[in-house]
Amino acid sequence: MADFIQLLVNGLAIGSVYALAAIGFVIVYSATGVVNFAAGQFVMFGTFAGVVTLINAQLPWSVAYGAALAIMALFGALFFITVYLPLRRGSIVTIIIGTVAVGIIMQNAALLSFGSWPFRLPSPLEDRVVNLGGAIISTHALGVVGVTTLMVAGLWVLFNRTSVGIGMRAVAQDLQAAKLMGLKVNRLLALSWVLAAVLAGVAGLMLGPMWFADVNMGDPIALKAFAATIIGGFGSLPGAIVGGLFVGLSEVLGASYVSSAYKDLISFGIMILFLLVRPQGVFGEKIQDRG
Amino acid sequence: MRAPLAIAAAILVLGGLIASVLPEYYLRLFNLSAISAVAVIGLNFAFGYAGLISLGHAAFVGMGAYGLAILTTAWGWSPWLAMPAAIATTAALAALIGYPLLRLRGHYLALATLGLNVSFYIVTSNWIGLTGGTNGIARIPELAIGSLALSGEHRFLCVALVTLAVVAALAAMLHASRHGREMMAVRDDEIASEMIGIDVTRVKITAFVLSAICAAVAGCLFALHVRFVAPEDFTYAHSITYLAMLIVGGEGTIVGAILGAILLTFLPEWLRFLGTAYLLFFGLLMLCILVFLPTGLVGLGRRMRPRSRKTAPSTSVGVPEMTS
Amino acid sequence: MGFTRKDFLGSMIAATMLSLTGAAHGQQAEPVLIGATVPMTGPLSLTGKQYQNSLTMAEEDINKAGGINGRPIKIVFEDTQASNGTAVNAFVKLAQETKPSFFFLSSYSTQNLAVAPELKKVQVPAMYAGGADAVADGGNEWMFRIRPADSVSAEGMVKAAVDVIKAKKPGILYIQNDFGQGGAQTAAKRLEAAGIPVVGMEAYGQNDKDFSAQLLSLRSKGADTILIFNYPQDGALVLRQAKVLGFKMPLVTSSAALVPAALQLLSPADLEGVWGVTDAFMDASVGGRMKDYVERFKAKFGIDPDPYGLAYYDGAFLMAEGMRKVGTDAKALREWLAAVNGWQGIGHVYSYDAKGNGVRDLAVVKAKAGTKTLELVQPVTLN
Repeated sequence: MADFIQLLVNGLAIGSVYALAAIGFVIVYSATGVVNFAAGQFVMFGTFAGVVTLINAQLPWSVAYGAALAIMALFGALFFITVYLPLRRGSIVTIIIGTVAVGIIMQNAALLSFGSWPFRLPSPLEDRVVNLGGAIISTHALGVVGVTTLMVAGLWVLFNRTSVGIGMRAVAQDLQAAKLMGLKVNRLLALSWVLAAVLAGVAGLMLGPMWFADVNMGDPIALKAFAATIIGGFGSLPGAIVGGLFVGLSEVLGASYVSSAYKDLISFGIMILFLLVRPQGVFGEKIQDRG
Repeated sequence: MRAPLAIAAAILVLGGLIASVLPEYYLRLFNLSAISAVAVIGLNFAFGYAGLISLGHAAFVGMGAYGLAILTTAWGWSPWLAMPAAIATTAALAALIGYPLLRLRGHYLALATLGLNVSFYIVTSNWIGLTGGTNGIARIPELAIGSLALSGEHRFLCVALVTLAVVAALAAMLHASRHGREMMAVRDDEIASEMIGIDVTRVKITAFVLSAICAAVAGCLFALHVRFVAPEDFTYAHSITYLAMLIVGGEGTIVGAILGAILLTFLPEWLRFLGTAYLLFFGLLMLCILVFLPTGLVGLGRRMRPRSRKTAPSTSVGVPEMTS
Repeated sequence: MGFTRKDFLGSMIAATMLSLTGAAHGQQAEPVLIGATVPMTGPLSLTGKQYQNSLTMAEEDINKAGGINGRPIKIVFEDTQASNGTAVNAFVKLAQETKPSFFFLSSYSTQNLAVAPELKKVQVPAMYAGGADAVADGGNEWMFRIRPADSVSAEGMVKAAVDVIKAKKPGILYIQNDFGQGGAQTAAKRLEAAGIPVVGMEAYGQNDKDFSAQLLSLRSKGADTILIFNYPQDGALVLRQAKVLGFKMPLVTSSAALVPAALQLLSPADLEGVWGVTDAFMDASVGGRMKDYVERFKAKFGIDPDPYGLAYYDGAFLMAEGMRKVGTDAKALREWLAAVNGWQGIGHVYSYDAKGNGVRDLAVVKAKAGTKTLELVQPVTLN
């Protein structure tokens, strides 16, 4: 039983990171229609923003986290101007390949600036553990689950209770109509990228202490985030969360109870199964709407 | 009938000329380009003609390559026998996979095929009994006609060019045929196609299986060229590269597929003098092509054509889509 | 470190000149060209950088000592990325354009396997550091391994578990790549033969970040020792997570978890109860040439050296000695290398067998209590 709780919490912690990466991906997709293959590199940049502020600049916690997220917000805006605007009239596939190219640029830029050695990002909850019915849980893992919950609640408020968030949803649903209604569409689109980058930053800062920071960490995260969005439902925020947690849990529980060699086949197998049986995922949009 | 023959002839003549002047290192890159071009022409059936976004093309290349590798090394078959067997097996698997999968469209199909490619990697890395796991399969025999071994970049380029010419000519013929037009009709408007009596499912599966067949041919060539296959040669990143080759070259065209394959094979090698920064510049250049040449290299040719059309009408032969 | 355009053009010109002028002008100290294909970008650059550094240092040291009978050596590097295809491209580029007299290949077995047929075509001796037994079994007489083969490392881990730790119920955790799969299988067979069969074997993917399922599963199967076959970063992560989970049993890791890039990620507490089977024990306290190498490397590059890099350094010196004795003729050099017996490198003693395996010694190490300084527990030599 203790082992089961242990696996459950570890699965949830890992799943929370996938969920945050998936949310950033979903926000961009629903607002701009872009499938962002650089999503994993966004998370990697988030971690390295933390490396810069926490390790290189030695700033105190709150300042360092704030500065790292500010860097990410700037990066999101920069991405909007230099990548999204020039590419937005391209076909789906042009945009996919475009974001892949950006991913290659980001990864190699990081390699040139930070080198290939991994970093150990500190955590304010450094190495403390709590005993939960025989299971030993790191407080950082609990913190990750907590922060994710807070972020999700904040996003809910943003999208349902604020005019900016409602505007973003309007742009996502129908860009032309939103324009006619007098919304500043470009500003809202830019905001989607900024938000996605900041969320990736949060994910990056939280996983740095758990997984180490290295410049090649992006792609594996993106893969899991894709699986999460499909399972949860393409373009759905609650779906991204459920999908992320599901992938995290299936990884850890699958390795324990099915086969550690084939555990990734479980999440991707389920992803393909979902696509075939219920392509809209658990919470997703109706598939006819988009194609 | 003229365009396919012209394409095949152009490939053989140009390829032959290039082969006679280049040193071996460039010949190797040309071989790799030709192999990729075969795969990318295949991808063009699925994506360029039928509009199916596949991010799992490398898995079919891998199935062809592994098929040949297993049949020749473990079962001791001749490559000449193993090749058709591997291609047929891949085609059958593609039909089997395509049937349920092709109900999906757009991003959904893209991510489903991506999942397929990841699954292929996991299976080939762990099914050690069949695939040798991550160690891969080495010592694949050389292709030979009688006692003449088709090894070495020069001789292999002959094989690769002939294959490419045949595949390109067949693709051009298909493009001009009723089947080709059906595929493009499905790409442009699925519901309208259905209304005029096109069996959309059949057309899609045909396109998908054709694309897998080309992929398997490329896979067999790959296995015979490198004579070593491992799971990491067929990851989803390779699938994305194939798609990028098609987009950079110019989607929907055979010439574009070939140009894209050549450019994206040579570009990173040309940039090697930049040291560790070369991949950064590779990404930047790719992004610039997408932004400034949205219709790919072929589009660049088209843009320049109005001036050259009167003087050189034969250039349009290179782009069959314009003549049909 | 940077390989600039100028270097590139320089090497191109040098290569062209060399082929034009030929051997007639051999007495003018034109450099002996050496090709090196190492991963400088992508996930494998973590280790690749070390080879580049140590080969650069070897180049300087050999030239300072007079080069090859007065001719300096010049190492030309090309990037392999983490890709077999790119590795072959890099190799063929060097083989065709630089036409080096000798090659250093990467330490990744699949890259070695992919390059092997091309090497056979150009017929130039090469040293490689990939561990997989499949590489040597390929029967390519031009390839010489400068590190212990994976089966040797696995045997070393079994020796550490059986002789040093006296394990009764060992479990195995391995990374799913050629190194992990091969090592785990060999170790399981050896343990079985020694009459202490493994209680469980668990795998993890190269990019995995959570190992709790695998670790807990081994514990619940009653493992009293865990043998871990790992790469640097995941190895460090496994050790940390084992400590967080409260594991008290001894852990035996393979070489990669204790290289400097991995050690810097760990705290002294993470290393309690951890034995490492490393390629070579590298510490200034060993004295002599080892002390000199460790200190100069650190001073030159600002980071600690690792045993993989040292293997390339030793390899370069072995190559240089061969060239001094029999010249740069490929065949003569190959024969000389094949006959090397008991050559004392800094990290290993080199004696080549018919398959091109040259190294059979390892070191069992352990961190000094409360520190991250490694101590030699015992050297292991296998026959």
